[in-house]
Amino acid sequence: MNLKKCVIAIMAASLVVFAGCTKKQNASERVLNLSSTAEIKGFDPINAGDLYSGREISKIYEGLLEFHYLKMPYTLVPNLAEEMPQVSTDGLVYTFKIRPGVMFQDDAAFAGGKGRELEAKDFVFSIKRLADSKLNSEGWWVLDGKIKGLNEWRDKNSKLPATNYDEEVEGLKAIDKYTLQFTLAKPFPQFLYSLAMPFTYAVSREVADKYGKEFLNHPVGTGPYKLEAGKFDQTKTIIYVKNPTFRKKLYPSDASPEFQNLLADAGKQLPLVDKVIVHVMVESQPAWLKFNKGELDFYGIPKDNFGTAIKDNKLTPDLSGKGMILSITPLLDVTYTGFNYENKLFQNVNLRRAMYLAYDEGKSNELFYNNTSFPAQSIVPPGIVGNMPDFKNPWKGPNLELAKKTLAEAGYPEGKGLPEITYDISDSTTSRQMAEFFVKQMEQIGVKIKIVASPWPEFMAKVKKKSVQMFGMAWGADYPDAENFLQLLYGPNKSPGANSSNYDNPEYNKMFEKAALMQDSPERTKLYEELNKFVADNVVLMYNMHRQSYTLQQSWLRNYHTSDLHHNNVQYLNIDNEVKAQSLKKF
Amino acid sequence: MTTTTVRPNQSIWAHAARSIYKDKLAFISFVIVTVYMVMGILAFTGVIAADWSKEIGPSYSAPSADYIFGTDIFGRSVFLKAIKGAETAISIGLVTAFITVTLGSVLGLIAGYYGGKLDDFIGWIYTTISSIPGIMLIIAIAFIIGKGLTAVYLSLGLTSWVGLCRVIRGEVIRHKDREYVHAASAIGGSDMRKMFRHILPNVSHMMIINFSLTFQMAIKSEVILSYLGLGVQGRPSWGVMIDDAKLELSRGVWWQLGAATLFMFIIVLALNILGDAIRDALDPKLKGK
Repeated sequence: MNLKKCVIAIMAASLVVFAGCTKKQNASERVLNLSSTAEIKGFDPINAGDLYSGREISKIYEGLLEFHYLKMPYTLVPNLAEEMPQVSTDGLVYTFKIRPGVMFQDDAAFAGGKGRELEAKDFVFSIKRLADSKLNSEGWWVLDGKIKGLNEWRDKNSKLPATNYDEEVEGLKAIDKYTLQFTLAKPFPQFLYSLAMPFTYAVSREVADKYGKEFLNHPVGTGPYKLEAGKFDQTKTIIYVKNPTFRKKLYPSDASPEFQNLLADAGKQLPLVDKVIVHVMVESQPAWLKFNKGELDFYGIPKDNFGTAIKDNKLTPDLSGKGMILSITPLLDVTYTGFNYENKLFQNVNLRRAMYLAYDEGKSNELFYNNTSFPAQSIVPPGIVGNMPDFKNPWKGPNLELAKKTLAEAGYPEGKGLPEITYDISDSTTSRQMAEFFVKQMEQIGVKIKIVASPWPEFMAKVKKKSVQMFGMAWGADYPDAENFLQLLYGPNKSPGANSSNYDNPEYNKMFEKAALMQDSPERTKLYEELNKFVADNVVLMYNMHRQSYTLQQSWLRNYHTSDLHHNNVQYLNIDNEVKAQSLKKF
Repeated sequence: MTTTTVRPNQSIWAHAARSIYKDKLAFISFVIVTVYMVMGILAFTGVIAADWSKEIGPSYSAPSADYIFGTDIFGRSVFLKAIKGAETAISIGLVTAFITVTLGSVLGLIAGYYGGKLDDFIGWIYTTISSIPGIMLIIAIAFIIGKGLTAVYLSLGLTSWVGLCRVIRGEVIRHKDREYVHAASAIGGSDMRKMFRHILPNVSHMMIINFSLTFQMAIKSEVILSYLGLGVQGRPSWGVMIDDAKLELSRGVWWQLGAATLFMFIIVLALNILGDAIRDALDPKLKGK
């Protein structure tokens, strides 16, 4: 073959290849483009300890209950349960009817590759998985000591070479195919909330058995979406498609007054969009540029773009001209700097107080939050009963003089004798800048800090293994109850539980246990406030901020509202392709 | 009677020094490198830029008479950070080049001189090392000893000696059958003596050339690693400055990027020109040019 023929042959071959690559884009297909600001650990509900994994897991898996999408204050409604449970008069026995006809997604793990119907026993299995000490779940703290016989089952099986899932647990019974009964060991007023958390989502035994350690990459749930690829490859783009066997579930027809404008799709079958693409983008700038090109449907305004996006708490004409909509929502969260109490050093209260006193929260608010956050005085955020709006933490800085004095009282005058402390963070540029700010602040009183940055999953693993000294983190509410924040410092919830700082104080534990048993009442609120003050005075954590979300959404996105608890909100979102086509011309 | 004109005998080093001195561009480059070295040493000893972490003004002030190169997010002087970054860069360049040259020449010498099994073994080591992507090795080393300056020294040093090792090995194989080595054997010189007293000086120009090239390669690599968050931690580096700039550019803050790039550009360019000039000067084939 001469050269010319050869070139033609190559060109022809490449044409074929290119033609093969061109995707047929169905014009009527509705695609949602979202972003995740952290890498996803995997799709195992019992390890949905972080928001980012929780959001992805909630697209595929579901729980007995969920929060009503359009009701505020947050209201629990049945999801996989057919109705709200019957509760015995002593408040200890909860009987659920499971919704019939709910199918697991098709997977090779099932006979014939066809998903089978969800049964009560699946919840029994899923909750036992949560309790299985061999799986080292991040979520065990939620039910630890709460269900009759479950702790005993856990302890017994932790000594056996293989966990025996067939052994009955007294408080966790599938009475028949559709009836599930929980018997609590003691009153647990937040129990129903825990059934809306990703930790208690329903998984199937066949799938868990088939994939074993790889289970986290093979999600098979009952939810509205499934992975297009069938499995998770730790990719930076996660694509979901509609689950063809999803049950009949309709968009709600009732809404609180503030959500009346979100009822256009009322009564329609969920999910509303055909495909969801989640882009894992740790750095804010590329994501922001993508949003500004119309390639993401909503995004929080990054700190460095705040000045150009917002003027006087309003969107600049440049952005509002593109039809973007700004929503400002206070979040139910607290950002904090934690100490690892397994390290003796941090049991010195004066050291903690000195460090807290040296830290200038106002400056941090200005540098990193454009002055939109509320400096935290203690652990419970505003909007949750137990928060004290007028409370001022006496140890909150900046007060360098007192900080230096307190550090001397701690036994380290001007930082002498104090070893270098490592400070672990997840590795985005903004986290590093925040850490650098922390280092600078501590330098002022002679405390030396060394920054250690790792990717989010690795950082979390280090925290859960207790191999950090200090670390920067945030806690977002799982349910609107101060108990969810106060449990962060409850001794038995130590890592891998939610108590990442491994704080274990008998006095606090006792007070907490008392409050945890109480139903909502003025007495409980008083106790919550006492606990809140206790942890503030002891500077158990360095409480940093309660944040506000400044989220921008595109004009074509429908039904969106910012929320702390609706991890499964994607099924309710909709896209107006016509508006999108029109709007994109202005981009 | 005919006589030959005898030129004064000149060593290769004196010749090289003279030819670099005569080459204006190379000489300027040499001065620049010296200035950076001095700057690095002064910053290291704390004579200059010791208070780089102090706030000197409001955050993100543009370059002006008060703040040459402006200030960063915390109101620190970008100029001082860039100087402190030069310290980081120079130290990484020096240490890496030192590790590279030592490892590369010693192993190359041994492999070339002894040949046989030893040669095969060293060949196996460098083939293995060069087959591991640098970044992977750096991540692995950072996992073991923790991220930071030492990890960068080691990972760059341990990955970049292969080229020099190959060249030295080849040269040594060429040299070991030369007359002067046989002469050394004849008067009872030991292997060590032959290797280090006789052969090594004759291949040492390779080491010098490699040193200057590794030096600038290490500086560039450090910037890339620090930009990726794998490099130095908790101290200024040009890479970290560029990483900051990634967010700041959207605010219109260009001076960190500008300062870091300028500082890096000048030293890398100077080292490249100097490296070329040294190679030309030391190449016997170009002698008398």
